[in-house]
Amino acid sequence: MTLSRMQIDRLGDRLRRGSLADSDLRLLDQYRRSFGEAYEKVVDAIRNQLQLDPSGRPAKSTSSIIEKLHRESIRLVQVQDIAGCRIIVADRAEQERVVAALRAVFPAASVVDRRANPSYGYRAVHVVAQISGQSVEVQVRTSLQHAWAELSEKLSDLFDPAIKYGGGTDEVREVLVSASELVEQVEAREGQISDLGAGIAELHQLSAPEDLPQRLPDLLRRLAEARARISERKAKLGEVFNQMIAEAERGEAS
Amino acid sequence: MIFLIEYDRPRGHIVQFKVFSDSERAAAQDIRLEIELNLNRSRVDHEVVLLEAMSEEAVRRTHRRYFENPRQIVESTSGGDAPP
Repeated sequence: MTLSRMQIDRLGDRLRRGSLADSDLRLLDQYRRSFGEAYEKVVDAIRNQLQLDPSGRPAKSTSSIIEKLHRESIRLVQVQDIAGCRIIVADRAEQERVVAALRAVFPAASVVDRRANPSYGYRAVHVVAQISGQSVEVQVRTSLQHAWAELSEKLSDLFDPAIKYGGGTDEVREVLVSASELVEQVEAREGQISDLGAGIAELHQLSAPEDLPQRLPDLLRRLAEARARISERKAKLGEVFNQMIAEAERGEAS
Repeated sequence: MIFLIEYDRPRGHIVQFKVFSDSERAAAQDIRLEIELNLNRSRVDHEVVLLEAMSEEAVRRTHRRYFENPRQIVESTSGGDAPP
């Protein structure tokens, strides 16, 4: 039996109010299962056409749905990530390639780029595919964006559910944003390295041999400098991540 | 592979972890619902979620928060977290 929009939104109202009956949970389960076919189409396309292995979450958990309904004041039918999956890539360059490939496979998809405008420090690209009128969200994160997101989620679990949405103490908020900015800086440097590496490869291929002695040392020096700066920033990021934990623990104790 | 996780958020640890084959999705969904109904009746606020991945290693990497404490998550980053 297909649920009507009115049934779904009334269910959303009950979820928001709390005190759920068995029948509410069964109805929610039915609604979530209705995304199964769309979810499978998206994951199959990613696996077969892009040769990537996403981890999927065919149905958002009840607690996460309820939190979202409270947080965003939206109707249940408007929740875009009932079903979704996640792809973790090495760096920004690969993230760009994967997002472009997803757009090609799902031309009607909307793309939410949270790198330029992070949400409380959360950076990632979300590609929301539309399959037969249903949304399936594909999260594409770099390893560093993912580490930040997982740490933020874990601290929210342990200390304060509001942390990942800009809540918690001022100190926690500041250190979360600071860590997120460091992630951005490291990834920007990685982009420079990638460009320099491409420049060196191009030089090897295109330049006359007599150009090499002049241009190659400069590129190699810049490459080494960029790598050194990345190492510094990554070490700093580790420190700030540990500071995040310490501030969250302190916030809970106070 | 399908992974069913019952997770105690405030304590940050897994209460139940079950593994199903891809062909057992309906059974996994039924069990997920049963667990959730029982938790709701006893007013226990645990998150119950189904995840799918090619391997347990993959799901542990993409959903670290269920499996690791905050310091382990940080350590995995400094160790040069290899993407799948």
